[in-house]
Amino acid sequence: MSRTKFALTLALTLATAGQAWADPKLVVGALHVGSIKDAGYNQASHEGLEQLKKNIPGLTLLEAENVPESADAERVMEQMINKGATIIIAQSFGYQDPALNVAAKHPKVTFLHASGFKLAPNFGTFWGNNFEAMYLAGIAAGAATQTGKLGFITAFPIPNILASINAFELGARTQNAKVTTTVTYNNAWVDPVKEAAAVNALADAGVDVVTMITDSPITIVKTAEARGIKSIGFHSDALAAFAPKGWLTGVAYTWGDLYTKLVKDIVAGTWRSGHVRGGIESGYLKLAAFGPSVTAETKARIAKAQADIIAGKLVIFRGPIKDNAGNLVIPEGKAGGIELLDSTNWLIEGVIGQAK
Amino acid sequence: MPSEFLQGWLAGAIVASTPIFYAALGETLVERAGLINLGVEGTMLVGASVSFAVASVTGSTLLGLAAAVLAGGAFNLLLGPLVVARGANQLASGLALMFLGQGLSAYYGKPFVGTTVDGLAPLPVPGLASLPWLGPILFRQDALVYLTVPCALAVWGLLQRTSWGLHLRAVGEDRLVAYAAGSRTGLLRHQALFLGGTLAGLAGAHLSLAIAHTWTEGLTAGRGFIAVALVIFGAWNPLRVLPGALLFGGTLALQIQLQARGAQVSPFLLDMLPYLVTLAVLVQLRKASRGRMPEGLKEVFESSA
Amino acid sequence: MLAPSLRATAVTALLLAGAVGLFSLLLLTSGKSPLDTFAGLVGSTLGSAYGLGEVLVKLIPILFTALAAALPARLGLVNVGGEGQLHVGALFAAAAALALGAATPRWVALPAGILAGMAGGAAWALLPALLRSWDWLNETISTLLLNYVAIRLVDFFVFGWLRDPGSANVPQTRAFGPGFLWPAFTGRVHLGLVLALLALLLAAGVLGLTRWGYVIRAIGGNPLASRRHGLPLARAIVAVLCVGGALAGLAGTGEIMAIQGRLRPHFSADYGYLGFLVSWLAGHRPLRILVAGFLVAVIATGGDSLQLDQGLPSATVNVLMALLLVVVLARGGKRAV
Repeated sequence: MSRTKFALTLALTLATAGQAWADPKLVVGALHVGSIKDAGYNQASHEGLEQLKKNIPGLTLLEAENVPESADAERVMEQMINKGATIIIAQSFGYQDPALNVAAKHPKVTFLHASGFKLAPNFGTFWGNNFEAMYLAGIAAGAATQTGKLGFITAFPIPNILASINAFELGARTQNAKVTTTVTYNNAWVDPVKEAAAVNALADAGVDVVTMITDSPITIVKTAEARGIKSIGFHSDALAAFAPKGWLTGVAYTWGDLYTKLVKDIVAGTWRSGHVRGGIESGYLKLAAFGPSVTAETKARIAKAQADIIAGKLVIFRGPIKDNAGNLVIPEGKAGGIELLDSTNWLIEGVIGQAK
Repeated sequence: MPSEFLQGWLAGAIVASTPIFYAALGETLVERAGLINLGVEGTMLVGASVSFAVASVTGSTLLGLAAAVLAGGAFNLLLGPLVVARGANQLASGLALMFLGQGLSAYYGKPFVGTTVDGLAPLPVPGLASLPWLGPILFRQDALVYLTVPCALAVWGLLQRTSWGLHLRAVGEDRLVAYAAGSRTGLLRHQALFLGGTLAGLAGAHLSLAIAHTWTEGLTAGRGFIAVALVIFGAWNPLRVLPGALLFGGTLALQIQLQARGAQVSPFLLDMLPYLVTLAVLVQLRKASRGRMPEGLKEVFESSA
Repeated sequence: MLAPSLRATAVTALLLAGAVGLFSLLLLTSGKSPLDTFAGLVGSTLGSAYGLGEVLVKLIPILFTALAAALPARLGLVNVGGEGQLHVGALFAAAAALALGAATPRWVALPAGILAGMAGGAAWALLPALLRSWDWLNETISTLLLNYVAIRLVDFFVFGWLRDPGSANVPQTRAFGPGFLWPAFTGRVHLGLVLALLALLLAAGVLGLTRWGYVIRAIGGNPLASRRHGLPLARAIVAVLCVGGALAGLAGTGEIMAIQGRLRPHFSADYGYLGFLVSWLAGHRPLRILVAGFLVAVIATGGDSLQLDQGLPSATVNVLMALLLVVVLARGGKRAV
């Protein structure tokens, strides 16, 4: 009995494989490192993909969640290509090398990688400048804090996160010159139990506004609310609902338009490999709606700063800037730009924490 | 050490120890019956996901807890036919249970990812909660925290002061002798598995309902394995599970407190602390636990050749 | 009446069908077609040369970590530390590759990487081995706790001293020189397969044919009596745990030298635990490890298809794995009181 079943399954498999070849539909494969319902990074990516699907009728989307950045990532991409995917969106930094390997084997498939720094003819990257938006969020935090102590909960000390922490502190300092930001690392993108402990420890230390770059921010926002402190979300604006009182604002990725443009360019044959970078001015990120405690005055300051950033009038990292060990990292007369996303390995003066 | 630091650390230590404590207490009971369940991680995941799902659908935290207790017990019972009736290898069976728990909780938990419940809120003890300094540490915690000491005492009493406990321990020491003396060894071992599972289920519920207030795949993040290790730490004594769990939870809480206070140490090195400290203390206490392993358990490790 | 062995086979087959049936029921509860699911699972793994290759890619580290559990188990030791030994093995191999430099000729580089990886794994097993040989601490708990330490140790170095200064400061080492990389035969199936099969053969041979193997089996059979007869228990404990650690170290070395080309955090997909499971499933017999390892690798690889074709969490495949394991374990068990 089991043998006939096996034969049947084989026949079925061959039949479905045949179908995939015959189908001329546009298939896009996307890999996520966490769950697409995490109210965080992966949900923001997923929502962007949903918008892409809406914008391009007939597009088939293959999404894989919780794909580890191990040898498994390459296999999942190969399986997607096997199912007809001609575009692969690799949504986590750690997929860079695996995606490059697969790209080398499939020159006709185009790879779009989030936040990477390498290129190949059929492999390009994209990323939203998170530090700009974090600077704006920092203004809200600096205006809200009573104790002058902010908390930043994150996973690992990697460059774009360090740049965000620095910008957050700089934004907050525009409102309160003495404000400090304390950083804690969980050594995991998703570990709600540790994240809850971090909020409590920070609150115990006198922190009254927390923000985060983790993939699963629900617990942080919710625990902050229970402790009666303020929170600023990251990645997805679905988060505001979890802290009706303490929510200040959040930074949300809005990938939909970018995905649509990139995919349309690929289909039209006009896409060229490169590093696509943009910030709030390009619509890759936005500030989420403000919470009830944010004053009109603060909102106006944030709006002004946002307008100045978009107009190119406000440079966030303007020298002289010292790191928190006292070293001069950006000298007088120099400024740091978008390259800091991929190169920051220091934490700015006023930040309490380790850069590695 | 400033007193507010100590206060925050101890309050955090108690929270972090609680789920590990319940799981280790349950496993102690199982091991006293001469069985080992390496798959506590799976039972905790089932408890965490089921309690979250039930609390989220019914809106009742109490029902969520009850569901975790039942689901944990039932899930542990799955080991029975394998290791009790068939005498299958216990370490492999336990790992199979872990994979089953991982898979089932991911499967049934999927609709609940990204949702939240209020769950178990802190329950200040009237009067005591406003004690200076000690109040926030001991008396502004959730109900499951308060129940840790009574549970440890109850399990200890069950094992040491009831005839059921006497029989169970006899089974754990020498199954054949207990059988010859008329004990229903199979039944006793199943009961131990069930009770141990209820506590592991409760441990999972504490993670999802009291700490995280959400469900994600793999929420336990290895805490079930630590619980198994802490049974040895407790030398198979329910009362000694508590200090063991506090030590581990305490170093967990210490590392995050140190980060929050700006300690100049790599976060990766700090994160090793709970494991290294547990290891060091175990070595230090080696004499205290020597000879305490139930005789029946030795067979599991030595029948491998 | 069927012959007993035939009947046993029939019962096993029936139980396996039952496990598949149970999993089908689970699928039906969320409206998925069991037939499609199994078709996808089998098709994506055994149904194509590529799929089969990927199963072998997954099998390689599992074989090493299974042996890392199996050899100590033959002496009555429980090595849960495959995951940690794998990580430290990779760390040592990476450190060797970076220290020797990219220009190292292949005939030096390849063995140097392999030896360093084995040394790393063995080093990580040494502390538990010593603690056990002094009768200070059971190796089950020490190897388990050290897994968590090892993973953070790799993080510490990759985020710190071993971080590639040239590549935008991200947490990964420089790419290893070409001489260090393990050659691949087809697809991603690499040198590790040959090494793993050799290790299996060697383990079978040593255990079965040599005096050393005889000593191990004798001690494993009855540690107390062996000690009374003067068999070198402490030395055997240290030796066998370190050899096990060295093999797990090879699993880690293969992952970075054949798959990643550099050391990055989180390169292992729980291979240490999968290997441990395989070893106990197979009763620590080398040939059976190959069979059980293959089964586990097929199922673990098949998780992709569950997710891509059926929209189920890929971890759902663990349910199927557990159910099949339960059958194998139940059939292998000895009836007890």
